[in-house]
Amino acid sequence: MKLRFEASVEEFRQEFLHWLADNRPTAEEMAADPAVSSAHCPDWAKRWTKRLFDAGWLVPGWPPERGGRNAGAHETLVYLEEMSRSGVPRTTNPQGLGIIVPSLLDYGTPDQIKRYAMPLLHGEITACLGMSEPDAGSDLANLKTRAVRDGDTFVLNGQKVWTSGANYADFCFLFCRTDPDVPKHKGISIILLPMDTPGVTVRPLNEIVHPQHPDLNEVFLTDVVVPAANLVGKLNDGWAMANGSLAHERGMVWLMSVIDMEMGMQQMLELAPSILEALPEQERAVAADDVVRCYIESHAVRCLGYRGFARLVKGGSAPEQALMKLFASASRQRLARVAAEMRGPDALESKPQRSRRIGTLEDYFGIFGSTISAGSSEIQRNIIAERVLGLPRG
Amino acid sequence: MDLELSDDQQMLRDNIRTVLTGACPPSLVRAVHEGTSDYAELWRQVVDLGWPALGIREEAGGVGLGFVEVALLAEELGRAAAPGPLLATISQFVPVLEEFDCIDLLAEVAEGRRSGSLAVAEGSSWGLHSISTIAEVTADGTRITGRKDAVLAGSQVDSFAVVARDRTSGQLGVYLVERSAATVIPTGVLEPTLGLADVVFDAAPAVVIAAADVEEALERVLQQATTAMTLHIVGACRRVFELTLDYAKIRVQYDRVIGSFQALKHRFADMYLMVEKANALGYFAAVAIAEDDPRRAEASHMAKATAGECQRLLVEDGLQLHGGIGYTWENDLHFWLKRAKAGELLCGSSLHHRSQLAAALGLISEVNV
Repeated sequence: MKLRFEASVEEFRQEFLHWLADNRPTAEEMAADPAVSSAHCPDWAKRWTKRLFDAGWLVPGWPPERGGRNAGAHETLVYLEEMSRSGVPRTTNPQGLGIIVPSLLDYGTPDQIKRYAMPLLHGEITACLGMSEPDAGSDLANLKTRAVRDGDTFVLNGQKVWTSGANYADFCFLFCRTDPDVPKHKGISIILLPMDTPGVTVRPLNEIVHPQHPDLNEVFLTDVVVPAANLVGKLNDGWAMANGSLAHERGMVWLMSVIDMEMGMQQMLELAPSILEALPEQERAVAADDVVRCYIESHAVRCLGYRGFARLVKGGSAPEQALMKLFASASRQRLARVAAEMRGPDALESKPQRSRRIGTLEDYFGIFGSTISAGSSEIQRNIIAERVLGLPRG
Repeated sequence: MDLELSDDQQMLRDNIRTVLTGACPPSLVRAVHEGTSDYAELWRQVVDLGWPALGIREEAGGVGLGFVEVALLAEELGRAAAPGPLLATISQFVPVLEEFDCIDLLAEVAEGRRSGSLAVAEGSSWGLHSISTIAEVTADGTRITGRKDAVLAGSQVDSFAVVARDRTSGQLGVYLVERSAATVIPTGVLEPTLGLADVVFDAAPAVVIAAADVEEALERVLQQATTAMTLHIVGACRRVFELTLDYAKIRVQYDRVIGSFQALKHRFADMYLMVEKANALGYFAAVAIAEDDPRRAEASHMAKATAGECQRLLVEDGLQLHGGIGYTWENDLHFWLKRAKAGELLCGSSLHHRSQLAAALGLISEVNV
């Protein structure tokens, strides 16, 4: 156990910080043309992604030809820390960079990597992840979107929902059923679907915060024809790959949640003293205790996350990764609630798009989705109980 | 940065656990609870193994390991609900002797010839500001008069490191008093294995360890005592968790094991998260102390506050999910329920540590206790 990184890791951090200071997009650039969905890549973001790629700072752990510099795990960790703290998004297409490209590099053909993965790494295109359906949310294996082989093509019919960024993405990493006659986990495949293919209809779902900038969508597929060469990996092997994809997502998301919690807590500590000062004495101690509990939780999130990371680096299994989703999302939600309720009616004021600010109802409702999406807290508890603690499926 | 135990530390933990499984089975804990045996044989074994010397510097005959290793031992003692003076000795007495460079006393502890505990709390306060126990220099040497409460292993240790105020200067100091020179009133009726006691000193002869300027050093000692107690609670809570989980896997109702009901699964997931959380914060504090990092004070407050949340959930859910069987004396569960609960009351409650944090964060004015 030790609290500090090796000197070489700290040097790596400094090297990145220097590069970042010289190359980051300006606040004005970003504000003038904000990214409004998780697959929207404005011009400044395209240039930024390309700069990151060329300098080997897009995915430092990968080789230079894929936008990296063969960095080790600890180096990647400090890179992500600084990237998350910088106020500049590492990517405006997190699922593309974090899940879809790694999956394509693992399972895709050379041609798929050339046509889909590399352009995404160059900031030229974006992608969305087609998983959930009306009857396949938590129970993903129940998905019904059909892909029927017809000569050199697949014909797709069905519906996806909650598809982040489908309204801006160039292609979809689509999970569909290719064999309806086997147990449900065994008949799922992954197909690359260009979103401009005839028969694809995207209908944005306006959310309870910022309805003018929807990110979630319904995607309707009616007799959509794609080349058979767009099949990713083996036919009917999609479930195993799905678990691989989600592992990629978890691997990246936990640190984001640590830093997000840390930054939210910083804002809370800036906000709290003046609010508490204005409270009557007897209310102050009670409110202070709420703040302290949030403070402790932000440290606990950090400790659990970094310990899980240490275990992963040593090659062990890390139940922390399963706990992190459950804990970090709930903690961040609690922080938002405590801050907003403590602040009083001022919390009702609205703030500009995406400038999440602790102490507003906008922040509270904006962050709330984290306990629902990507496997709800209830599903996380089931996973922990069954896979980590060995309780029987009920 | 590495918040996981090293291979050596894991090996040490495994060794400790193996030894305690043999030397401190639930039957021994039961016998001590029921007054049919005591901790003497266990103490002899741990002395043979050199455990009291774990954190003592090598020049005093110790093993010279750091505070993370001491914390490991404290956690395993909680997991075993071990009776006897070891926890107090390694996490309270030795830190005092180390802070004040008491080489001769350290050597005695390392050899297993002396156990000890910190006598600091008065009333329910573990703070240094309100101490009223008096030290007085007389013709016959230094004498201590006053009353200390909730002394860990107070009825089991050989000696006390007493925090007292000089009658003349008003300065706090630390004094060594032999147990035989004090009146020990056992208080742990519900948890007799910890040897908790109130200790009354009536002009008790004392040896000066340090007569002035002890506050900073004592804060550091209290951080160690607090963090060790945190992990001790975590160890007890983890045992409660394991016992409850095992039970949920075998208890059948409505033709299925009760652990297959989602209402219980979710509670187990939450209990597991809570134990892991308290454990992670506990070791963060331990490593901050081991490295003498500036965050050590804050980290020990956070750790003990979280241990408080942890024992609350685990004691309640552990007992509740066991149902009636966990409410019986014959079942072993209560040893750990009581150990975890007792830990909450020692070294400052979670409420105390949260209020200290609130003051440190500037949310409320300084709490001087």
